[in-house]
Amino acid sequence: MVNWAQILLNSAITGSLYLIGAVGLTLTYGLSKFPNFAHAEYITFGAFVGYLVAEQLGLGLPMSLLAAFLITGLGGLLCYRFVFQPLAKRGATIIHLMVASIGLGFLLRYSIGAIWGWEPLYFHIDWPSYDMGPIRITSLWIWIIFSAVALSIILHLMLIKTKIGKAIRASSSNPELALASGININRVILITWFIGAGLAAVAGIFRAANTQIWPMTGWDIILPIFAVAILGGIGNYYGSIVAAFIIGLAENLGVVALMALGLSTSYRIAIAFAILIITLIIKPQGLAMLFRRG
Amino acid sequence: MDPLVYLLDFIVFIGIFSILSLSLNLEFGFAGLANFGKVAFVLVGAYSYYILSEIGVPFYLCLILCALSSAIVGFLVSLPTLKLREDYLAIVVLSFGEILKLIVKSEGWIAGGVWGTPVSPAITIDGVSSRVDALVNIGLVYFCLSICLIMAHFLMNSPYGRVIRAIREDEIAAEALGKNRARYRAQIFALGSAMAGLGGGLYAQYIQFIDPYMFVPMLTFTVWIMVLVGGPGNNWGAILGAGLVTFFDRGANIAKDYLTLPIDPSNLQYIIYGVLIILVLLYRPQGLVKESHVKTKALDRVSHERTTVEIRRS
Repeated sequence: MVNWAQILLNSAITGSLYLIGAVGLTLTYGLSKFPNFAHAEYITFGAFVGYLVAEQLGLGLPMSLLAAFLITGLGGLLCYRFVFQPLAKRGATIIHLMVASIGLGFLLRYSIGAIWGWEPLYFHIDWPSYDMGPIRITSLWIWIIFSAVALSIILHLMLIKTKIGKAIRASSSNPELALASGININRVILITWFIGAGLAAVAGIFRAANTQIWPMTGWDIILPIFAVAILGGIGNYYGSIVAAFIIGLAENLGVVALMALGLSTSYRIAIAFAILIITLIIKPQGLAMLFRRG
Repeated sequence: MDPLVYLLDFIVFIGIFSILSLSLNLEFGFAGLANFGKVAFVLVGAYSYYILSEIGVPFYLCLILCALSSAIVGFLVSLPTLKLREDYLAIVVLSFGEILKLIVKSEGWIAGGVWGTPVSPAITIDGVSSRVDALVNIGLVYFCLSICLIMAHFLMNSPYGRVIRAIREDEIAAEALGKNRARYRAQIFALGSAMAGLGGGLYAQYIQFIDPYMFVPMLTFTVWIMVLVGGPGNNWGAILGAGLVTFFDRGANIAKDYLTLPIDPSNLQYIIYGVLIILVLLYRPQGLVKESHVKTKALDRVSHERTTVEIRRS
């Protein structure tokens, strides 16, 4: 008997996690016009900072989220300032920028491996669980869903109401015009990279707390996160919200289908890949067409 | 280990990696295609070799079929992204590599799943030392390498190669001249994948063992470093890069045993790779050997006539 209510809840959790992880990628992708593969390592790095604060210093989850957001955000900003910006100034092509992000990813991943080692680590925080009718939910999952909802609302308000949000949207859709209107594009880009990397760190902590933490934590979920960014339409924040939950749902339904077919459930990441390919064949712009204003 | 065998083994590795870096050089150096999943096509080649050799297909046919199957897979994978920007191809191929690794990992019946499987060598001569064995492999690998090199050299200096380079430099201008960008891209991607498949087959029969963990994204980017360091768009540069990076890799392996460092050397090696990629892109994106200029008879005549005119004037 399949517990559909639980599957829906699990889909919401998966979708929330992917949303938090993908928002930073899609915003920087739209603004700087290249996919940052080192985003996976921002996720991993954030998870380890969170582990350090929550477990090794014993300061609890909220403090670790805040610390990881700020430290990783600063790290992402510095990475942009000292790797990607100089490259872009020297006229690097999109391929050069992508390869550089892979190189940066290696640098970060193996540095993390050198510091914390390659053995999987686990969060030891006790998450009380609650039974509500047919479904079971832990406080960690409530945290994840709550964070995703809060993030959606805050980013929406920021993009629509604030000056910096409008500047981000303007610079993303037409950099020359934004520059001509007196927007300091450089500052906009740096702020976006800060927020993007910070959010990746939050996703990293949740992923690590939900499963395990090791130097490949981010790389383990990079495929669905890229699928979210492309299905949502690159640089399109609202598209990525919808895409995250579509992929979350597809993965959880897919696991049920895989079990019914007697296949290994490790194929769940292949579902995100299938969605990615179908998107590229049918509509490479993704869901962006649904959200013209975004 | 016998030092001579170690040296011969090193030479075989340079040969195999040269084939891989030549294939990436075709795609990235000449055609401007970002193949972030080279390892997927090496995997296809290696597993095809295993499956075919198990059925009893002779080794030369195995190697040809490795290249062919890899080319078909490469062509199919590149299809959805041919008309899109370069980054989509990179994401799709990178993901494809991970999925392919997942499949051979989960499906134990293909080739032993996670445990891997032994592969029979291409040429077995009874009762010879491992030195002779390595020499035979050098012959086989360098024969394949020279075919790849000759093909890449003549293809890229032909009118066809000039179209490929033109598409890389300015795809709109090339399309305005009636060159179908998607078709040329698909052809080059299939050819590059064929070479990678051949490299994979050679690798499998030389190591005589395959398992999914040999085909990690790290392998793809090791080949990228070879091309970037050597010089994108130059076949000799790609081979030079393969030699240098393999040499560094061997050196790092030896250093692991003899040096005591504050950082675990296996981590340090990849940290150095990461820094190297960034530094090369920042300070020497053309690599050690620059791409040579296009040479045609017409251009030769023009430059020759220009010099004679200048001589007459003076």
